[in-house]
Amino acid sequence: MAVYASHNDLDRMGIIPRGSPRQSDFMFVAGTVTKKMSEIVRRVYDQMPEPRYVISVGSCANSGGIFNTYSTVQGCDTFLPIDVYIPGCPPRPEAFIDGIIRLQEKIRHEQFRWSRWR
Amino acid sequence: MEPIQIAERLKERFPEEVLDVKEFRGQVSVTVGKGRILEICRYLHDDPDLYLDYLIDLCGVDYLGKKDNRFEVVYHLYSIRHRHALRLKAEVPQNDARIDSVMPVWIGVNWHERECYDLFGIVFSGHPDLRRVLLPEDWEGYPLRKDYPLKGPDTEWSGFTDVLERSKKYRQFDWYQ
Amino acid sequence: MEDIEKPFETKELTISMGPQHPATHGVLRLVLQLNGENVVKCTPYVGYLHRGVEKLGEHRTYFAALPLTDRLDYISSMNNNVGYVNAVEKLFGIEAPERAKFIRTMVAEMGRISSHIIWLGTHVLDIGATTPFLLSMAQRERILDLFEMLCGARLTVSYPRVGGVRNDISQEFLDLLYEFVLDFPSNMDDFETLVTENRIWKERTVDIGVISAEEAVNWGLTGGTLRGSGVDYDVRKYFPYDAYDRVEFDVPVGKKGDCYDRYLVRVGELRQANRIIKQCIENLPAGPVMADAPKFTLPPKDMVLKDMEHLIHQFILITKGPTVPEGEVYVGSEVPKGELGFYFVSDGTGKPYRMRVRSPSFVHASVLPRLSEGGLIADVIANIGTIDIVLGECDR
Repeated sequence: MAVYASHNDLDRMGIIPRGSPRQSDFMFVAGTVTKKMSEIVRRVYDQMPEPRYVISVGSCANSGGIFNTYSTVQGCDTFLPIDVYIPGCPPRPEAFIDGIIRLQEKIRHEQFRWSRWR
Repeated sequence: MEPIQIAERLKERFPEEVLDVKEFRGQVSVTVGKGRILEICRYLHDDPDLYLDYLIDLCGVDYLGKKDNRFEVVYHLYSIRHRHALRLKAEVPQNDARIDSVMPVWIGVNWHERECYDLFGIVFSGHPDLRRVLLPEDWEGYPLRKDYPLKGPDTEWSGFTDVLERSKKYRQFDWYQ
Repeated sequence: MEDIEKPFETKELTISMGPQHPATHGVLRLVLQLNGENVVKCTPYVGYLHRGVEKLGEHRTYFAALPLTDRLDYISSMNNNVGYVNAVEKLFGIEAPERAKFIRTMVAEMGRISSHIIWLGTHVLDIGATTPFLLSMAQRERILDLFEMLCGARLTVSYPRVGGVRNDISQEFLDLLYEFVLDFPSNMDDFETLVTENRIWKERTVDIGVISAEEAVNWGLTGGTLRGSGVDYDVRKYFPYDAYDRVEFDVPVGKKGDCYDRYLVRVGELRQANRIIKQCIENLPAGPVMADAPKFTLPPKDMVLKDMEHLIHQFILITKGPTVPEGEVYVGSEVPKGELGFYFVSDGTGKPYRMRVRSPSFVHASVLPRLSEGGLIADVIANIGTIDIVLGECDR
């Protein structure tokens, strides 16, 4: 949450939070994904228009982290295609911004990924 | 009033219900049978000298293989007016895992009882809305029981396997159709 | 003309709000039955962040379960740590040295400021004001920088330890904190000028979500939500832990128990927290920061690296855990959200037999239907903001 506010302003990177997945280009999976939540995360992803990207934020979303239990998904890449993983539990705002820059670089270099003839 | 005195008063009032009184680090816990739990709670709440009007917490404990009665439901009570506290424990056997709900006395116990049902499988009879609260409705098993493995049973919850299958299906979507 | 005078006919409408709705402060899902704009029935669904902390705690030693408490209420992790170590110390029967107690009180109040300030910012943002959010986050950043200086982490600190705190604090830290403490009241004044007497703010919060004192007690509310209704139940005053019995502070209470009173209570708490920090800095005693109880506390790290006995000692404590007397304790502590209680059942081994987390947000989420039903749908947002829930703690 700190990245949106004063000190680390995400707006200057061109990133503006939207209220609805239907208007979004990429989404953050922030925090632990539980099995109960997994269906909703997947549904939010399915609602997004293409091209779409996913950033996984934090150890818990990347791999389950310290919560290796009955109700936690061990990494949200089991059911979502992830573009960028940001490590840390929780990640620092600097790491967050770095992850976004990496995603921008990735988008700049990709070819024909979202075309019909992919 | 000292908590040990409360325990004694409770013993006078319900001599055959109070099974055990223990003190550890200045905190008194009273073990009672589950039969008249609602009456006991009503008495503790309404008696002007005790007036335990504030239920801090309700939780279950699973003593698998340690005690004859497998489960215990633990009530942490407090009186804001008199500033004394008491821990009440009700023993619940495994073969008849049900106990009266104390919602008529403290309405805030609603979700605590639902959680206890969710994670231990103890049924609170008289509860108006006894559903699972933390886990999905169709979850199998009761996770906080001692015989439930930490990483869950081998068979995955059906809701999650659905998601996995769906994501697999979408990944193989044929764009040349 | 007749058509206009006829009252509108509205249908019952059921909408599902969340769990990824921006105004629900996490993954809370509300199913609202609406009649026009009036809420007829509100059913909260939680558990979307249920990670099994209680079960995981039973599989870890008392020392290793400390980082789990960071992730309960991830915006005030310092207070959770303090509550946890107090409960474990009570179970072990040890006591932290005086200096450690004052440090803990100080950092806990810093955690309270950072948590309340984020509550303030987001609550006001939900109701429609953006500037206070940016102002409050700037203040929070200062606290987080201080935490980083203290222990290296911004949010998940794990700074207090069983029997004391991890490391002593430096004079530089104290100087910077004192600077913050002196600045803070004027920053709060700025903030309050924007919000407290603002007419829109008062229209949106006064007489919204009223709950009386008896009812609030019966529902088991705690913290600012209870004190807004006029009950002065505060764990810091009723069961003083750490150094709270040696500092002076007031417990602000409300009168009516509406959203506005709860807002005033929390703003008052921010100022009191500032006052406590100031007293702690001024009265900080000298001395060690770890208790001298070798059976229950980890040996100092520099000795472990030099000395064989200490190394073995540390190895045993980490792998097997300490030998704990059999028994059970419940210890509550006042976190920004309310009363966070830890209930341990020990069977004599190094791991808790049962670790129960009594989380305030869980109870507060259950009171949401009582506050919202009969009101307007816009007030649901005000109510969610005012009870101050964090779903990580609610679902555990």
